[in-house]
Amino acid sequence: MDGKVKKQKQHQQKHSGPKAEKKKLKKQNGSTEEDERKRNPKAFAVQSAVRMAKTFHRAQDIKTKKHHVPVVDRTPLEPPPIVIVVVGPPKVGKSTLIRCLIKNFTRQKLTDICGPVTIVSGKKRRLTFMECNNDINSMIDLAKVADLVLMLIDASFGFEMETFEFLNICQVHGFPRIMGVLTHLDAFKNNKTLRKTKKNLKHRFWTEVYQGAKLFYLSGMVYGEYQNQEVKNLGRFISVMKFRPLVWQTSHPYILADRIEDLTDPERLRTDPKCDRTVSLYGYLRGTHLKNKGQVHIPGVGDFQMSDANFLPDPCPLPGTQKKRALNEKERLLYAPMAGVGGVVYDKDAVYIDLPANHVKQLQEEVRPTTELVQSLIETHVTLDAKMAASKVSLFSGSAGLDPTDISEQSGVQEGLREIHVWDAHTQTQRRKVVFTGLEEEEDDVSGSSSDEDDDGSDQENQEEEDDLSTFLKEVRDKSEKATKGSTPPVKKRKLEEMKGEEEVIAEAPAFADSEDELERGEADSEGEGEAERAGDSGHCSKESEEDSDDEEDGDEDDESMEEEIGADDSDEEEEQGTFKWKEGLQQKASAAFLRHQEAAPNLRKLVYGSVVEAEDSEEEEEELGGLFRVNRPQKSKKVQADALDCSHFNPDISHNWELEEMLNSIRDCFVTGQWEEGQDAATLLKEDEELYGDFEDLETGKVHKGTTGEQDQAEKSESDEDETDDEDQQVKMDDEEVQKNKRLEKKRRLKERFDTEYDDGDATYFDDLKEEMQKQAELNRAEFEDMDDESRVQYEGFRPGMYVRLEISSLPCEFVTNFDPHYPVIIGGLGTSEGNVGYLQMRLKKHRWYERILKTRDPLILSLGWRRFQTIPLYHIEDHNGRHRLLKYTPQHMHCGASIWGPITPQGTGFLAVQSVSGVKANFRIAATGVVLDLDKSVTIVKKLKLIGYPYKIFQNTCFIKGMFNTVLEVAKFEGASIRTVSGVRGQIKKALSTPPGAFRATFEDRLLMSDIVFLRSWYPVSIPQLYNPVTSLLLPVGQKDSWSGMRTVGQLKHDLGVRNKPSIDSLYKPITRAPRHFNPLHIPKELQKALPFKSKPKLLQPKGKVPRDLKRASVIREPHERKVAELLRALSTVHHYKKKVAQRAHHAKHKEFLQQKEKDEEAKMKRMKDARKKLYRIMGQKDQKKQRSSLKGTPQDD
Amino acid sequence: MASHGLTYEGCNFLRQRLVLSALSGKRVKIKNIRSKDDEPGLRDFEANFIRLLDKLTNGSTIEINQTGTVLVYQPGLLYGGTVEHDCNPQRSIGYYLEALLMLGPFMKSPLKATLRGVTNDLTDPTVDLLKSTALPVMKKFGIDGEGFDIKVVKRGMAPGGGGEVVFTCPVRKTVRPVQLTDPGKIKRIRGVAYSVRVSPQMGNRIVESARGILNQFLPDIYIYTDHMKGANSGKSPGFGLTLVAETLNGYFLSAEMLSTPQGQGDPILPEDLGRNCAKLLLEEIYRGGCVDSSNQSLALLLMTLGQQDVSKVLLGPLSPYTIEFLRHIRDFFQIMFKIEVQKPLEDERKGGDKVLMTCVGVGYSNISKTLK
Repeated sequence: MDGKVKKQKQHQQKHSGPKAEKKKLKKQNGSTEEDERKRNPKAFAVQSAVRMAKTFHRAQDIKTKKHHVPVVDRTPLEPPPIVIVVVGPPKVGKSTLIRCLIKNFTRQKLTDICGPVTIVSGKKRRLTFMECNNDINSMIDLAKVADLVLMLIDASFGFEMETFEFLNICQVHGFPRIMGVLTHLDAFKNNKTLRKTKKNLKHRFWTEVYQGAKLFYLSGMVYGEYQNQEVKNLGRFISVMKFRPLVWQTSHPYILADRIEDLTDPERLRTDPKCDRTVSLYGYLRGTHLKNKGQVHIPGVGDFQMSDANFLPDPCPLPGTQKKRALNEKERLLYAPMAGVGGVVYDKDAVYIDLPANHVKQLQEEVRPTTELVQSLIETHVTLDAKMAASKVSLFSGSAGLDPTDISEQSGVQEGLREIHVWDAHTQTQRRKVVFTGLEEEEDDVSGSSSDEDDDGSDQENQEEEDDLSTFLKEVRDKSEKATKGSTPPVKKRKLEEMKGEEEVIAEAPAFADSEDELERGEADSEGEGEAERAGDSGHCSKESEEDSDDEEDGDEDDESMEEEIGADDSDEEEEQGTFKWKEGLQQKASAAFLRHQEAAPNLRKLVYGSVVEAEDSEEEEEELGGLFRVNRPQKSKKVQADALDCSHFNPDISHNWELEEMLNSIRDCFVTGQWEEGQDAATLLKEDEELYGDFEDLETGKVHKGTTGEQDQAEKSESDEDETDDEDQQVKMDDEEVQKNKRLEKKRRLKERFDTEYDDGDATYFDDLKEEMQKQAELNRAEFEDMDDESRVQYEGFRPGMYVRLEISSLPCEFVTNFDPHYPVIIGGLGTSEGNVGYLQMRLKKHRWYERILKTRDPLILSLGWRRFQTIPLYHIEDHNGRHRLLKYTPQHMHCGASIWGPITPQGTGFLAVQSVSGVKANFRIAATGVVLDLDKSVTIVKKLKLIGYPYKIFQNTCFIKGMFNTVLEVAKFEGASIRTVSGVRGQIKKALSTPPGAFRATFEDRLLMSDIVFLRSWYPVSIPQLYNPVTSLLLPVGQKDSWSGMRTVGQLKHDLGVRNKPSIDSLYKPITRAPRHFNPLHIPKELQKALPFKSKPKLLQPKGKVPRDLKRASVIREPHERKVAELLRALSTVHHYKKKVAQRAHHAKHKEFLQQKEKDEEAKMKRMKDARKKLYRIMGQKDQKKQRSSLKGTPQDD
Repeated sequence: MASHGLTYEGCNFLRQRLVLSALSGKRVKIKNIRSKDDEPGLRDFEANFIRLLDKLTNGSTIEINQTGTVLVYQPGLLYGGTVEHDCNPQRSIGYYLEALLMLGPFMKSPLKATLRGVTNDLTDPTVDLLKSTALPVMKKFGIDGEGFDIKVVKRGMAPGGGGEVVFTCPVRKTVRPVQLTDPGKIKRIRGVAYSVRVSPQMGNRIVESARGILNQFLPDIYIYTDHMKGANSGKSPGFGLTLVAETLNGYFLSAEMLSTPQGQGDPILPEDLGRNCAKLLLEEIYRGGCVDSSNQSLALLLMTLGQQDVSKVLLGPLSPYTIEFLRHIRDFFQIMFKIEVQKPLEDERKGGDKVLMTCVGVGYSNISKTLK
């Protein structure tokens, strides 16, 4: 159009007036659906019931589809660091990204990324970064442990095969969170192509992961690093990400080892460098609880028995609970021992610390106590709460030592002796310090003051810190003193009573705990690390036995002697005290927990699980005499027990006499007729009901009824007021008030419960109930062992996820150590019960649609199943309609089939993937097949078809003698009654063997056989699965060749490698088909039959026409010349006549046509005339009518 | 790569070891079986038990040395299905059934076991007792459903036997964790007084005397008399009583008493038997807990095999058998129980000490079951 386009008037927003007000109102109230519904009810009315039902169903379907099966939330309170695996093809920027992220979180630069790097990223989150190199082994292993995958894609190149391979691996082993990161975006010069590429890549990524999966764009490098803002954003995304638990990960414990130490005896190494190694592996425990001494699998190495496990203080702890927004500098920890960075790294007898420059000062103070603490932990298995220890150490480091009053208070609660295992730095030995706690408090004070002085003397370096520390200590002290004064005496009294009762029960309590413990300790130490677990056990028992000694109540004398001992040990204490200062903070918690422990007599535990001492005693029982004879002692009680009657009956205690009234009374309350607890008593319940519904006003009389409890409460209150005046009964009063308070709380709770049940639970669905149940279970799981110390907690539930653990594995192959490469992940995967066994597995398998070949039965295949990677020989089969598993030679092209292997027992429902080789890099897609384990069975039921062929050699009517199918009479006997068939489909049965020739038999058929027939017997032959289980030991290969593992070769590969070419069997070769023409004999119908047949079916036997006899033949006429002329003339005349006739007819035809036309014209004219006439007539008639009407109207008067 | 085995000595607790071995898949070796005895080696009933285990499993290997003093058991897969077994009359069917109860839920296909032999004898818990106490315990763990039953087809008393019991059990993939901490009060007492090949009056006499004692506590008592005749009465005469106390929360405590087998020891009067049995029940109630003393190990096993959640159960004092069972659980599954003794309060009249057992399950799942 023309150049000057008329500019549209811009929209003017109203700022005043009714429209603006309306808008403002709308903004304020928000657009509410309710409003619309009210305003326009018709629009929301039900139009069609069917439609409404449909929409409702659809809505419900969508809602229900969103539900996941609720699972118990088993995540620990302090979760392990999140494993972030950075994958991608080479040269895509993986290391750079990790470096940038680490720098972003910790402000530290890490030059070489090798092995896992753990950092603290926030108040509640730690991250472990792991780079995945371009090796399918690493990809498989890391996909199993990853929580989050950062998938790097070179945008300038596009997707590479590795990316898709990794995605497929993830799909099989449970899909972790995946975030794509596009790099090399600066390679695009044209903005439009950039945008297009981004979009294309994004959509392809979405189809692989899920619609809307997050894809990050790193737009370019600045000085060899990604842009700060982009990295920061990525970091933010990572630190708020949520994860859905994956089945395999949550049901198995696993560790991504971040540190490895070889503990093998150097002397042995010197003599035999190839000997099996004892190795300790360190890492955060993830997944689920790990049981000590369990079986583990290290992918790439093999299965091993854990020889020992213990937990260590967290090298990368989360910051404390201070309320603040960001982490301060010293809380931004970094731990990567394989990269040689961070934290403390210890040897057997020395500690190496690698520190960044800015941390030096603060860490120096920390180092000593930490290491000592750690060392003592490793060696001694002292009970301690590692987390607390770690958090407190920094606070108390080297400060005014242990406050003796605290310890005495603590032990005052415990009443008796306590031992504390202390690491003596000078002698490098383990010492058990006995802390005495007298019954009198004065003693405590004395000893407390003395040690106070000691502390002051010893710790002069740390004066600066003392100020705030002392105030803190004071608070702690005050609190604890209060606690002891308030609560201890009644407890003590009760305990004593209990003990009296127990004394009889505890017969096996040792006389004095100390000596025995000393002995135990000595033994435990000498036994070395193999026995470490047991030593831990003994630590427990010793504590119990101390309590026993207390029970005996000969405490006073012993106590005094102990005092002296302590005096002697004082010099040692000076150093030692520093080490257990960290325990002070634990006091309240520990004392509370301990109190509870003691109340439940722990001797039952000892009775059940025993102690080291007992076990050893029994071993020593048999002693040899002169090395030849054995002393046969009368069998001791244990021996007798070993061969006793195996019976679960628990014979009653004879001491109870159920004739006595008091015995009967002792169980009276077990019956509904007995007395009920106060809360559940019928009377109280009634009263409560009255309270609830009791207040009512009688409307008729106007009388107000009131519940009675109020008054009662008051009465009780006044009573308690009176009590208050009595100083003596203060205790009682306190208790009373407590009771009242509890009662009120209880009542409140019950009322609330009742209210809830009445009003809330009305529309709770099954799903809600289930969820609530799971929630409750999760709470219980958390609460049950919460306030136990870690050492005993570990014994009950195993090591819990989130702990930093150290596993010791003996007999690892030496190549693991010598060929160790930190770039490859070392994963320690725990195995469940019976997952260590090997057996037959049935699986469902499908060839991957991107793998270009089909798989052949009995070709070795490398599977990744559970934690393991192994080579095995699968047999493929398919299920027939009758449930038979028929062997297949090859996998179907686009269909699932069954596969049976000999391999490690893995729970059903576990996914697996198969590759044909793990060595090298190939251009093609490497994942050959995927599937799932269906069944574990010790027997295999795969069969293949076998056809036995025989030939008839004598034919009677329907009976036949057949040879060549079997070789002996016995074989035939086995198949008597089997059905057989000929090629032409005649069915028959094997009857009986014939004596000669061997293997021949008599058979009957439904029809007579021909000698040319072939008889066959269709049978099914069971196939056995080759027992090949060959773990992929890729981690044992030399550095640099780890991706070149090759196992058993397929027959095809072998032939190719060896250049073998099989001569095909002559019979299998293709030859030109020559078919001899077949002659059929004519059909012969007997004469008799022919006669009987109806005419229709009778063969139409037409005799070939013979010669007609001469007499039957007609004579031919020969004309005379005259006759001929006449005939000629007649013919000419008739021709002329014909012509004339034809012409005449044509003329007549034309004439008639003309006539018809004329006639039509006339007719038309006639019609027209008649029409006109009729028209005229009707008009006249109409006029007449009108006239008549008019005249009639005129005549009549108009009344209406 | 076969998993390491465990080694034990002596024939005691043979069933526990074999059952736990079958469940955990760990090989077990038992040495010195009655090695110092005049007749060394396994007894007939033990061999019979091993044979039953072999019938139930698929692919297990059992090696016994010449004298029968060493047994090596490599467990196979629990197969289940329909099994018929003639139990040795030296021990009652209860001996075999206790093991079947532990294995039943973890088979490949639902178990239907027909056991023939002695249904009631003095040493082992009788079939009636297991029926009335073990099944409710298992139901608490989610092992329930159609065809979960013990049926006494024929009753056979001690020396002769001739009884028949059908045990059917459905298959479960997992066992759910339980919190059985509050037993509740006993609301009713039921029982069965059975007699075979003696006067039918015996039953009534037992009932009378037992009621005499129990009526002091509770009015709601009903004891059925079960007199079996003809082909269903086995080969030996005898009579006995099983008493079951049910609490408000659905827990069962039981006691039982039998007549002495024919030709062994002094005969016992039915009145005495009734009284003694009632006293035994009182003793059981005195011990208390949510599971009665003969099923403690069953409950603990199911707790161990539960999900990785905390399970709790309140028991009476632990029987020696249970204590050994706990040790075995630690050996096979590395599970330790937290054992807390609950003392009764001063003025409480609810019997003796209770034991609260707490553990975290191993997260066991039935690996025999086929996935479809």
